[in-house]
Amino acid sequence: MEELNLFVKSIFIDNMIFAYFLGMCSFIAVSKNVSTAFGLGLAVTFMLVVTMPINFLLDRYVLQPGALTWISEDLKDVDLSFLGLIMFIAVIASGTQLVEMAVEKFSPSLYASLGIFLPLIAVNCAILGGALFMQQKDFPSAMTATVYGLGSGIGWLLAIVGIAAIREKIAYSNIPAPLRGVGITFIITGLMGIAFMSFLGIKLG
Amino acid sequence: MLSKKNKEALFNPLSKDNPVLVQILGICSTLAVTVKLEPAIVMGISVIAVLAFSNVIISLIRNTIPSTIRIIVQLVVVAALVIIVQQFLVAFNYEVSKQLSVFIGLIITNCILMGRLEAFALTNKPWPSFLDGIGNGLGYTIILVVVAFFRELLGSGTVLGFKVIPQWCYDHGYEDNGLMILPPMALITVACIVWFHRARNTELQETN
Amino acid sequence: MNKNSNTYQILYAAVMVVLVGAMLAFIYMALKPRQEQNIANDKRNQILSAIHQATANESEIPATYQKFVVKDLCVDAKGAVVDSAAGCAFNVDMKKNMKLPEAERKLPVLVCDVEGQTKYVIPVYGAGLWGPIWGYVAVNDDGNTIFGAYFSHESETPGLGARIADADFQDQFKDKVLYKEGAFKNVTVVKKGQTPNDGSDYVDAISGATITSRGVGAMMQQCMAAYDPFFKSIQSRTE
Repeated sequence: MEELNLFVKSIFIDNMIFAYFLGMCSFIAVSKNVSTAFGLGLAVTFMLVVTMPINFLLDRYVLQPGALTWISEDLKDVDLSFLGLIMFIAVIASGTQLVEMAVEKFSPSLYASLGIFLPLIAVNCAILGGALFMQQKDFPSAMTATVYGLGSGIGWLLAIVGIAAIREKIAYSNIPAPLRGVGITFIITGLMGIAFMSFLGIKLG
Repeated sequence: MLSKKNKEALFNPLSKDNPVLVQILGICSTLAVTVKLEPAIVMGISVIAVLAFSNVIISLIRNTIPSTIRIIVQLVVVAALVIIVQQFLVAFNYEVSKQLSVFIGLIITNCILMGRLEAFALTNKPWPSFLDGIGNGLGYTIILVVVAFFRELLGSGTVLGFKVIPQWCYDHGYEDNGLMILPPMALITVACIVWFHRARNTELQETN
Repeated sequence: MNKNSNTYQILYAAVMVVLVGAMLAFIYMALKPRQEQNIANDKRNQILSAIHQATANESEIPATYQKFVVKDLCVDAKGAVVDSAAGCAFNVDMKKNMKLPEAERKLPVLVCDVEGQTKYVIPVYGAGLWGPIWGYVAVNDDGNTIFGAYFSHESETPGLGARIADADFQDQFKDKVLYKEGAFKNVTVVKKGQTPNDGSDYVDAISGATITSRGVGAMMQQCMAAYDPFFKSIQSRTE
């Protein structure tokens, strides 16, 4: 029940894009059409689901002050938390590389259209942000962390598919020339963000 | 020292090839740190430093990096530099480090870093890479400062913490625009800058 | 040597990890004493803020702290003093402390002496909108009236929730009372223009930052209520 609650909350209320504005670079740049956006959204969701439990275990059993006591009692004063950022990013980057290889092998067309943004998933703020939020929220188990990762990923996917659908339709509108493309996307995202702000702070259950 | 190509590496990112406006990199942190002018400036300086040095380091070792694990190598270099900056700030300037706590970590995921490492440092010599880092860092800082200036002015009525909107305006019913403080308005402010920038540089306009 | 061979890649990654790890560990070890000193001084200054004695000059903080904070106490849920060793209250990590079940929590109190008057500083810790918020509340020697409060936060919205760290919000707490007719009522944070319905003392919330403001009230309730027996024992002493 707790997990379900967290799941719904991380999709709509704590939406990575509209509430925290994380992962904007690829959000703006790869949202020209729905199918590419969907592919990238899936990749991000997948990465979040895979890296979240790994980072959780790393944090719990290696990085936190006193986390190494499972090896030996003598290590209880060891504090490796200063290595947190680099460990998380290493897990994320190696995961991304694996996804990149898999996509290249199984779906060359998706690989071609995602282009430079596949490597950039590694620096997608949403994924590192997810790891940092996980640390801050102090989840009780790896399962909860995975659910949070899945929810955040789906939230991100919904957002990027939504904006891509709007952008496809906007191609038919007469927008002032300097605003075409990026400019109008910024404005639409801003408006969507304001709409999503109304979810902020809602507590379920 | 500054051949034509190097000059381009340094000055193009300021306007024609601006990382935020044209390359669409580094948006996340643009939103997060531009509520007030001061953190925006410190953030800009930190990004210039990290970007310039990581560009140089990657450029120095570019011929030894195996292409399959290059992303990991780049990220490790960037993350190490960011951690060093963070540790030094905590040790020597605790006040500033408190203000920037979350934002310093955000430098790692600033897409400008990865974008420039991939697109420039991997294929160029250290000196041009250094200039490219400085140039892109500056281009990013300019946008941050402009956005932060307007958001702080309209949102809080201050600039760098000093009240600039005179009291009689408030007495006659002027109110600070609370909406400017919220992140969505940063996007809309950036959109206005894009509008202005592209109206003057017609070759950048998109056809869509 | 072939750059794409597996051996090369593994060697490359291993060497890189060892080098970077060693360098970071070295920097961390070298800077740690300074960092810890900074963090401790910052905490001391936060405590001093609650009794209106904060100093801007960093080098003066330890001396000022020595001058005003005379004793550390840890009490239990019944109000009895369980520990009074130097630093026993100062060194309590509130984040970890609040996670313990209520019965096992330490209740730290910093006893201060401001111009001959005894003040009790209580650390508080809770959740705002985005992340943790914390603070220190100084209570007069009647065990009821608030002498001063200091709040800070990790990542509240700048210009909205972040204003709990501003003096004009914190100054509202001065002279508010925690007890009404002998019962612990807390100081409630309510929307400007409203009054709480349980008759407790109240301060105005920050407009536009309802959740953070409410978090401050909830944090005070959660942390201070446990001190009820301790406050009662002070009250009976002074009567």
